[in-house]
Amino acid sequence: MSDPAAAAGPEQELEATRRNLAEAHKMASLGRLAAGIVHEINTPVGSILSNNETIRRSLESVRKLLGAAVEQGQPPTARTLAVLDTLASLTDIDKIACERILAIIRGLKTFARVNESDLQKINIHEVILNTIKLTNCVFRRRVTVVTEFDEGLPEVECYPGLLNQVFLNLVVNAAQAIPNEGTVTIRTAMEEDRAHIAISDTGTGIPESLRPRIFSAGFTTKPIGEGTGLGLTITREIVEDTHGGRISFETETGVGTTFHVWIPLRQPRSQERV
Amino acid sequence: MQPNGHGDQQPNIVVVDDEEMVVTSIRAFLTLETEYNIHGFTEPERAVQHLELNPVDVVISDYLMPKLNGIQFLSKARQLQPEAARVLLTGHADKQSAIQAINEVGLFQYLEKPWDNSQLLLIIQSAIERATLFRSLRDKISELDSAHSSLKNVQTRLLRAFL
Repeated sequence: MSDPAAAAGPEQELEATRRNLAEAHKMASLGRLAAGIVHEINTPVGSILSNNETIRRSLESVRKLLGAAVEQGQPPTARTLAVLDTLASLTDIDKIACERILAIIRGLKTFARVNESDLQKINIHEVILNTIKLTNCVFRRRVTVVTEFDEGLPEVECYPGLLNQVFLNLVVNAAQAIPNEGTVTIRTAMEEDRAHIAISDTGTGIPESLRPRIFSAGFTTKPIGEGTGLGLTITREIVEDTHGGRISFETETGVGTTFHVWIPLRQPRSQERV
Repeated sequence: MQPNGHGDQQPNIVVVDDEEMVVTSIRAFLTLETEYNIHGFTEPERAVQHLELNPVDVVISDYLMPKLNGIQFLSKARQLQPEAARVLLTGHADKQSAIQAINEVGLFQYLEKPWDNSQLLLIIQSAIERATLFRSLRDKISELDSAHSSLKNVQTRLLRAFL
């Protein structure tokens, strides 16, 4: 047989299938955020296009006004100076608008890392911040995201594309658990030789009867089209099976839920695992 | 054309978007290209307060905003100033929200972001015309009502004189 997965053995085949499933799920999750991302990009693009048109037309009239002033040997009129001030303020807006678009694109770029098979040492805070940039596109009007990072946390050796998926799942779940307005808090800390990431929401909490089933494949409480029932299953697999970490949660009905994720700072050498 | 029925006063346009950059861009464009009075708000609640106290010809609103979304806000605007034309400017190309807006708030126009300034200006110009026509119609109806009641009075007096 020439199938490399078969040749590599069932464990490796399982791991490869798991990665493919996680990747497919990540794309599906991003797809669900797409409408919000489009909205968030359309707003600054709208401003830039409008400003560009306004500036182009106004520069023409400013040129005429200045030409007339020069001809008459007069200084520019107050109206001309006011128009120039407005144009300057529009270029400031354009800068802010471009930065907004860039931030979203940076967030998307992180997610575009397809199936990175190599372990990398990364700053986990950057991964979390990029995730927030995307989730904010959808939830920022009703959910405030607060970060309390341990700035001394060293780089974590991991599969970054997969960890993106973990944080995306947990932050989206946290925001969706909040019925109206609320807060999602993301804390990081160093615990022995592991990074501890806690994602808390001020949502409805998980009812006691559902708690034993939340990591089960196919289980979801979300409406059709919003959840696949695989998010937490994949999250648990990425954290525990792929990274040798641990995931747990604490929840109180009506108060909120906190998911805890522990990822070892160093992985066993890649050839031993993959 | 007499917007607001206030003689030579320029038309009043309210622009509401929780994004400051959108309000600034539209305000700058309209200020440089027209003589309209532009009232920009990033909080729909503040725009509602403005509508409670000031006559307005056109209300342009974003859809996705915290606390009060575009449809809820335009619905309030309709209650407060039914003659002002309502325009939804949204970055969220959601057909369902557009249909809801048309049905629930008697939307005049639906415009998607990124918008085109020339198109926006055309919409505002027709919206002002519509608002002016509505006001003029209201004034004519009120004149007719008053003429009708005068005639009624005359008729009553005539009847009394002859009976």
